[in-house]
Amino acid sequence: MERRAYAIQAEHLVKVYGQGRTRVEVLKGVNLAMRGGELWALMGPSGSGKTTLLTILGLVTEPTQGRLCIDGEDIYGGKRPDLARLRREKTGFVFQSPNLIPFLTAQENVLLPLSLIGARRQAARARVMQLLESLEVAERADLYPNQLSGGEKQRIAIARALANSPKLIMADEPTASLDAGRALGVMHLLRQAARKHDTAVLVVTHDHRLLGEVDHVTRIMDGRIVDVPDAPPTPDHRRLATASAGRPGGRPARS
Amino acid sequence: MNLAIRDVRYHRFKFFSSTIGVSLLIMVVVAIGGIIRGVILDSATIIDETGADLWVVQAHGAHPQGGTLGPFVEISRLPQQIYHAIEVMPGVAQASPLATAWEHVKVMPRPTRLMKFMYMNALLNTAAMVEPGWMAMPKLQRFIVIGYQLGKIGGPPLIVAGRGIQASHYEMVADVKTGFHVGQHLRLGNFDYTVVGLTKNMVGFTADPVVYTTLTDAQNILFQQDPNLLRSQRPRIAQPFTDLAATQPRLARRLAVTAAASAEDTRSVNAIAVKLRPGVSAKKVADRITRWQHLQVYTAPQAVNLQLMGSNRLILFQLALFRDILVLIAGVVISLILYTFTLDKLREIALLKLLGARGRVIYRMVLQEALFMGIVGTLLGSALELLIEPYFPRRVVATYGDIAQMLLAMTVVTLFASVLAVRRAMRVDPRAVIGME
Repeated sequence: MERRAYAIQAEHLVKVYGQGRTRVEVLKGVNLAMRGGELWALMGPSGSGKTTLLTILGLVTEPTQGRLCIDGEDIYGGKRPDLARLRREKTGFVFQSPNLIPFLTAQENVLLPLSLIGARRQAARARVMQLLESLEVAERADLYPNQLSGGEKQRIAIARALANSPKLIMADEPTASLDAGRALGVMHLLRQAARKHDTAVLVVTHDHRLLGEVDHVTRIMDGRIVDVPDAPPTPDHRRLATASAGRPGGRPARS
Repeated sequence: MNLAIRDVRYHRFKFFSSTIGVSLLIMVVVAIGGIIRGVILDSATIIDETGADLWVVQAHGAHPQGGTLGPFVEISRLPQQIYHAIEVMPGVAQASPLATAWEHVKVMPRPTRLMKFMYMNALLNTAAMVEPGWMAMPKLQRFIVIGYQLGKIGGPPLIVAGRGIQASHYEMVADVKTGFHVGQHLRLGNFDYTVVGLTKNMVGFTADPVVYTTLTDAQNILFQQDPNLLRSQRPRIAQPFTDLAATQPRLARRLAVTAAASAEDTRSVNAIAVKLRPGVSAKKVADRITRWQHLQVYTAPQAVNLQLMGSNRLILFQLALFRDILVLIAGVVISLILYTFTLDKLREIALLKLLGARGRVIYRMVLQEALFMGIVGTLLGSALELLIEPYFPRRVVATYGDIAQMLLAMTVVTLFASVLAVRRAMRVDPRAVIGME
């Protein structure tokens, strides 16, 4: 299979914490492959390794073993990677709480990732305003986070995650603190963003009501990806689903 | 995007209230520097303003250093007429005999609110040491009397009110710090004097203001004894001549009168200020005076140094040490403020790291805030010091050079002070944002 076809491709990811008697194997050979434009849900019980997988895919934590390719670049294949640079250029994050920087305005919060990659000011500002307009919060651009509603903050957080045109967005329970209507709205925004910006979006969620918005549901259990027989079908689900338990981008999770 | 500016802009109250605290510390540091400079200037004022190149004082054969430290640090007494011998020496333009000593008058205090507060405070804390009714007691106004020959060096350099001394008796010019006013009459010694003019910034190394009189008046004030004492002393002075009186009464009477006149003679001076002709070596003239006149000679810088190091040395060292300790305290305070600020921002720092911010983006933010606090604190503190300077009882002179030096010192101090905060910031794990550490 051609690796370039995937935004992210993980092969046999293993993560071990501690040594000897305190050794804990959190991830036990996770394989996963996502294409740009796909919205995936990652589900699993507490302690199953969701967050660890998220941090490995988000280039925050290094895996103990395995291979990780983002946008065709084998992250750990060569010399020691500059993870901070890769995070700046290739990933975006959305969290349960919006985690906006309180001393920056909405606009500056979105501008931040572009500033970190050294984007030209004029172009960066245009990009920020375009994102804020597309998320319908352009008129709130000059307000500080404490002047925004919860929903507006989450939109700003999504705009920030999209600002640097990442290949992959990690969303860690972005709807957990929202009511059903707002949660659906956020998922819809993420789905739109994935489509529009050709970005792979991996959402960790426990909320089954939102699964209708996702292209694919993958479940992690005891450090392994397992099939999800109860994931609700979506129009293009069949076409997109590529998760597997055994091989990268392998068999569809649902047929 | 400058994160430090945005953080300061958003948390401006917190930041500026902390900076004001720092600036008050710095104000004290700059003030102490100003006090040190004030003491140095006070020590040099009389010497500088007199314009003398050499100061001739009493020699002392038995003294290990060969002379007294007069006229302001140690007692020095010379016969007045000796200045004639100095004045005719090659290279000497002028030799001016000066009589100098500390005097005082009693004045009724006009207590200010601050004085009342300080008095009450002293009463509360050291009741046993404060004399009851202290506020209503006459205050001793100390000053230095300098007597000079009219037309020679050693007189007031500047008249800010009234006029200079014109009559050869009973007129004086006082520094404004004495609190005297033009036309005021004062009794000094056995005579009344009138303040005919005021001068400014003329103080001794003890910060006591200067009062100028003619040499003769100063000699009367300083050396003339009480008439009753003189009268009672005359029989004792005449005693050695009583045997002679039986055989040669006229001679005995004449000798007794001469002896009494000698004892009552006020024609002494404390120093001779010497002005040299241009281009003449001060050292050569000083050597000549020492060798031929058996006197001690100091150059003007040596005379300043004597006052500075002879009397104020320990105070200056103490003040300088205290100032340095305060700079260190300012550093520690800034360090703790920055550390607390950083602790308040750990989540934001973790988020910045998660978004891929380089380490230098984080420490630049901490350093810039530290520098901003140090620089703004120093400028504000210095401005405050300049504002309160005139209200100090002694001369306080902080210069722009001092402020520039302080700015440099605080830049270094804040850079060191930010190390703790930077180290804490750099230890932040980006996974903290996701709830993993």
